[in-house]
Amino acid sequence: MQKIVITGLGLVTPVGTGVKKSWESFVQGRNGANEMKSFDTSKYKVHRSCEVKDFHLDIELENQIKENTIHKYVYYAAREALQESGLMDKNNFNIERFGIAIGTLAAELTPFERLLRPDTSKKDNGFDRIVAAVYPPNSITNILAKYFGFEGPTMVSLNACSSGNHAIAWAYDLLIENKVDVVMVGGGDMIPQTEFTHFHNLKALAPEKCQPFDKNRQGLMIGEGAGILIMERYDFARKRGAPIIAEMRGYGLSCDGFHMTAPHPEGEGAVKCMSDAIRMVGLSPNDIGYVNAHGTGTPHNDKAETIAIKRVFSESAYKIPCSSTKSMIGHLMGAASAVESVVCCLVLKHGIIPPTINYETPDTECDLDYVPNVARELKVHHVLNNSFAFGGNNATTIFSRNDN
Amino acid sequence: MGKRVVITGIGVVSPLGCKKEDFWNGLIEGKSGIAPMTSLDLTNYKCKLGGEVRDLHPETHLGSKGLKYLNKGTRFLGSAAKMAIDDAKLPVDGSLSNVMGIVIGSSLGNYSETTDYFYEIIKGNPSELSPMRSYDVALNSSINYVSVIFKIKGLARTISAGFTSSTDAIGDAYKMIQRDMARVIIAGGVEQISIDLFLIFYIRGLLSGLDGKRELSTPFDKGRNGFVMSEGSYVVILEELQHAMERCAPIYAEVKGFGNTYVGGRDYTENERINRAKKAMSEAIEEANINERDITLISANACGCKIQDTVEAKAIQSLFGSNVSNVPISANKSNIGESYGTSGAAQIISAVMSVNTGIIPQIINHKENDPDFNLNLVLERPLKKEIRYAMINNMDYDGNNSCLVISIFNK
Repeated sequence: MQKIVITGLGLVTPVGTGVKKSWESFVQGRNGANEMKSFDTSKYKVHRSCEVKDFHLDIELENQIKENTIHKYVYYAAREALQESGLMDKNNFNIERFGIAIGTLAAELTPFERLLRPDTSKKDNGFDRIVAAVYPPNSITNILAKYFGFEGPTMVSLNACSSGNHAIAWAYDLLIENKVDVVMVGGGDMIPQTEFTHFHNLKALAPEKCQPFDKNRQGLMIGEGAGILIMERYDFARKRGAPIIAEMRGYGLSCDGFHMTAPHPEGEGAVKCMSDAIRMVGLSPNDIGYVNAHGTGTPHNDKAETIAIKRVFSESAYKIPCSSTKSMIGHLMGAASAVESVVCCLVLKHGIIPPTINYETPDTECDLDYVPNVARELKVHHVLNNSFAFGGNNATTIFSRNDN
Repeated sequence: MGKRVVITGIGVVSPLGCKKEDFWNGLIEGKSGIAPMTSLDLTNYKCKLGGEVRDLHPETHLGSKGLKYLNKGTRFLGSAAKMAIDDAKLPVDGSLSNVMGIVIGSSLGNYSETTDYFYEIIKGNPSELSPMRSYDVALNSSINYVSVIFKIKGLARTISAGFTSSTDAIGDAYKMIQRDMARVIIAGGVEQISIDLFLIFYIRGLLSGLDGKRELSTPFDKGRNGFVMSEGSYVVILEELQHAMERCAPIYAEVKGFGNTYVGGRDYTENERINRAKKAMSEAIEEANINERDITLISANACGCKIQDTVEAKAIQSLFGSNVSNVPISANKSNIGESYGTSGAAQIISAVMSVNTGIIPQIINHKENDPDFNLNLVLERPLKKEIRYAMINNMDYDGNNSCLVISIFNK
């Protein structure tokens, strides 16, 4: 069967704009949390999140929104990824075989919020020409198509916190089927006040810091940013002499079918999607060298995910490093699993496992190797990236070193 | 060669009624689901019409417990999904949970409920909003709800791709069953009318009547001037053939091919658009392992927009050549309007019914032929015709062209 490879990566995260800056921060265990700047939190009990800092785009996109948008984040990450993969220039290729799949939780909700705040007399005031243009989620794929000349099939994955991995899975199938040569995949999200309020009222937000798997963990922190990967058919990449960063091996999907917001307490859906992914790829659980955990920092998620990992990996669960990069950048919602897939590729490339920071007190119910606080040098061959969403909407992806 | 995929159940929540029979009878009786909109205050706007869902009784499908938490989109999708499940005689006792998935297309999902929530935030005290609003505040919460109440454990996916969302979802579900990722998938679309949806179309100048002329859904008509917006949920049960046969399920039709091209992002010439539309159709036909001469029904995208209908008509004319006059064309949007992310699923269900009954519904509101077109439009009365293969076109002016080919089921 045709191999599917990753040839370019792009990141905008709360700990750095660009892959290089973000990765340095991940390795150093930098905390991306800050006091909320983009809206007033005085009516809330929580005032912190992980915002993107010092982001500046050097070109003006159409729709000319002054503030940050998902469009700008994904544009930046996509350009970075395409430059690495050598696909900025597509002159010799059939661009109708270049697709796009992007995951998002809230799409461009923030421009609507910004427009409505000053005049709340009626909801209609939240709409002008710009909001009408950017509001439909597929405006995100259209922006990328426009600026980067990808004219193959597109989709936006609205799968809440597993959106990025769903986009990757969709792209993988299209590539395997030989419908396309290249797919630009990933995810992007901002921090809308709407979602902040929702998580706040569910009592899911940590007040100070995100502490995945720690005994005293108090919840997640919302983050923002974008992650983009260039996925392509191996024969196509090899023929054009592209740099091959990693191989995208396969995925597993599942659904808890259990509760609107709580994960299944025994991690039933998580077990199925991890097991299905490992089986699809043709590996055994022992082959996995690193797990990028969903690890949100909520009491329920981290406990259920730990149980699920033990059920899938049995005894070897204790030997596999399993960290949550959400400890540093927060939960990027629809962009989370895309950014974490980029991290997985960087782990394969650099042989370094980023840590779970803010880890202070061990929890008897969460007793795996979470790579506490300090990055670890370790050459691994296969990595697994978990993403679980509200409604029990789960997706796991697996990446391997390209050793050929 | 992957597994064969059949359609074993249908569920409809539409402006023509909230049963598949109401929808189908409405189409073949030439009824219109379009009327002055009652759910929105459009006093200050030029356009007034819409295809609203009026007589849905969600409690008969979903029970009354917890109903108050369910927003409009969730009621639509939950009811349509339940009707499709019942129609397919699928057990919902959990015995199929692990092999069952859901893939739904919706351009906006629960976006309008999410923005309603924001409106409440800025009008009042955000901390007081109930955590039960999880039923509103995620773009895929309707799908989450359905997966929870029907204990779906295989997979859940929500696809947003503008006007083609639901065809893309059904195409995706078909591929997943072919590859054995699931054996049964609840697939289709949902879209609900809201001020958000209205304003997006209104501001972008897509609605009929904005030019001061008549406000009417008139696909392929010379005087067409935009579409009339609409809402609903259209759901099919896609099932792996062996699985369906083993449980003696009713089989409506077989899904044979899916094609997908793109015309978003930049300005395209009319010819480029025509070629891309044609290519989506060719791909679907090729995948079905037939040629265009085998197609005996086209369910057209035909939304009543000037350029889009022209592109579609010319693409069909170019692909079918001299045979074009032999292929009857239906256009459901004349009756139900443009339901955005669920419009393709509506057409697919109509085509499935045509394949089953040998009846093609007529296009209504048609007044004057467009001299540029040389199409065999079904007008005035339904056409009786045996149909082996039907092709369903679904297009986004700034997005995908998607095409599905279905056939009558033969062992």
